[in-house]
Amino acid sequence: MVFLLDWLTTAAMLFIVTAGLMMIFGVMKIVNFAHGALLTLGGYASFVVTQLRLDPWLSWPLALLAGVVVGCVVEAVIVRPLYKRPLDAILATWGLGIVIGQLIVIAFGRGVQFVDAPLQGTWSIAGLPYSAYRLVLIPVALGLCALLTGLLNGTRFGVKTRAVIMNEELARGLGIHSGRIRFVTFALGAGIGTLAGALITPLSSVDPDMGLPWLVGAFMLVMVSGHSMFSLLVTCLVFGACQVLVSTYLSPVLGGLTIAVLAALMLRIRPQGFAHG
Amino acid sequence: MTSLRLIARASAIAAAATLAFQVQAAEPIRIGVPVGLSGANSVVAPAVVQSSQLAVDEINSSGGILGRKVELEIVDDASGAVGAQKAFDTLVFQKKVDAIIAMETSAARNAALPIVARGKVPYIYTSFYEGRSCSPWMLVNGWVPEQQVAPVVDYFAKSKGAKSFFLVGSDYSFGRGMLDFTKKYIEQHGGKVVGEEYLPMDGSDWTAIISKIRAAHPDALISATAGGAPNVSLAKQLKAAGLAQPYGNLAIDEGTAKTMGDVATGMYLSASYLTSIDIPENVRFIDGMKKKFGAELKTPNELSAPQYEAIYLYKAAVEKAGSTDSAKVMKTLGEVSYTGPRGPVQMNKSRHTPLSMRLGQVQGDGSIKILETFANVDPGMQCPSAK
Repeated sequence: MVFLLDWLTTAAMLFIVTAGLMMIFGVMKIVNFAHGALLTLGGYASFVVTQLRLDPWLSWPLALLAGVVVGCVVEAVIVRPLYKRPLDAILATWGLGIVIGQLIVIAFGRGVQFVDAPLQGTWSIAGLPYSAYRLVLIPVALGLCALLTGLLNGTRFGVKTRAVIMNEELARGLGIHSGRIRFVTFALGAGIGTLAGALITPLSSVDPDMGLPWLVGAFMLVMVSGHSMFSLLVTCLVFGACQVLVSTYLSPVLGGLTIAVLAALMLRIRPQGFAHG
Repeated sequence: MTSLRLIARASAIAAAATLAFQVQAAEPIRIGVPVGLSGANSVVAPAVVQSSQLAVDEINSSGGILGRKVELEIVDDASGAVGAQKAFDTLVFQKKVDAIIAMETSAARNAALPIVARGKVPYIYTSFYEGRSCSPWMLVNGWVPEQQVAPVVDYFAKSKGAKSFFLVGSDYSFGRGMLDFTKKYIEQHGGKVVGEEYLPMDGSDWTAIISKIRAAHPDALISATAGGAPNVSLAKQLKAAGLAQPYGNLAIDEGTAKTMGDVATGMYLSASYLTSIDIPENVRFIDGMKKKFGAELKTPNELSAPQYEAIYLYKAAVEKAGSTDSAKVMKTLGEVSYTGPRGPVQMNKSRHTPLSMRLGQVQGDGSIKILETFANVDPGMQCPSAK
């Protein structure tokens, strides 16, 4: 039972921190090294909410908003000229991550900050007390997955996005405003990244480096899962299970390596990842 | 008669003038303070700088050391080993300081020790650390595991009836070192360690470990994580999981506990310095700090109080030696004692210091209540080959 809960909540957390990167890296093929900094930004959005003594639940929409705004600016100023130069985009987003990190240090200082959690205490699941907030992350992850899948596969916007990614020339020829599509997708991805930062704050510390440890794992998961939200969810479930199993039965130190090692193996054996048939 | 008086007065003035001239002309004694003004230590470093300044101001206003003024040379070491090497190099070979008194991370200290030895400069290390670092040029007045762990384990065993313990740490030298020692100490004193788990330093997901703790049903929990982020994420996740065992945190300081708010409430910690220590020396120290720095005051902490004491210990040692000669001062440094904010200190136990340790519990308002004081806790033989 404990394993089941640990597994599902771990997978939910992995999915939440990875979803924003999926939009930008998985869908738009921009290697966004600023994703860690976006997570951090989300953490500080909830810190601002705490400082203003607002309801902690407000940190979610505020973080999303902050991310979308930052995403808009970054897309227009930094990323737009780099769609055809993916290697330069790596450097640019890496640098952007450093800049965001330093701006946060200037604004809030280097120390660890503390944020009010929207939900405290435990819920009893089959007689077992379990962290309520972690349990809430499960429906949040599922909801996010359903929403994004719906958006990418079920709406006109999703079709256009995929058209732009597959063949931009052709899409433009068909009258799709590709610049606007990229702009919206990037902003949305950034917004989901910061939202994830706010979502994990009750379980992690808020400091200028808080997003960094998630970055590598998130990249691995997106690379393995391809470009659909559903396959990302499956990947998170499989890799989350492995991580929890290794942490529980071997050692948590090895558990921290599980995702990286498995992803490397996976890409060796099956370079196209989970998603493609 | 008049002329005689005049001559007497003139010569008195002349004598006073020469005396004043001599005091002024004597080279100031310079103390190097390499400290992490940037990087990870920048959270604690300002308090260390402030307490150094207070000590030096007090010493200078009461006549200096051997009639010489004291000056601080504060250098940024960027909180790391590479920065520390540069900082120590500058202090020893360019600024030619008479002594170095500073906290450092363990990696930075190890990197700097050869420089201190080459320059033959007395070095007082003022940070707590994992122990067993020895150099003929270094003395330590912070605590080592022998001193910090005992109060927590003894208190849990006696007052809480704890027999089984679960140990959690970050996977690095301080975490492993502290918990290795804790395990030995618990087992020597009839307790049982039912689990010992580590997470990498940058890890933030304690899920599996928390499930193991729950399954092991320990009477008490002791952690030694890296300071900052891992410490906070562990505390948050323990709280969220609703684990109610007594929880001793070997890596938390008073300031962090205060900012952590209700996440830290009820947590136990063991320290040689807490602002609530109720002895006249500490009251005077805190008053002095408040008066000197006012609104700019950084709350004194486990690193800044030993720094303050170390400067006074150095003063006493130079006065006893009669000069700043390095070899002589190294000898007298181990002999002199000083009663500071933490109580009496004397660096006389194999280059380390027996200390009064306090067991505190974090209260709802973030203050720390001292539950028990363990006087004169022995650091053990840290450097068996030292005289």
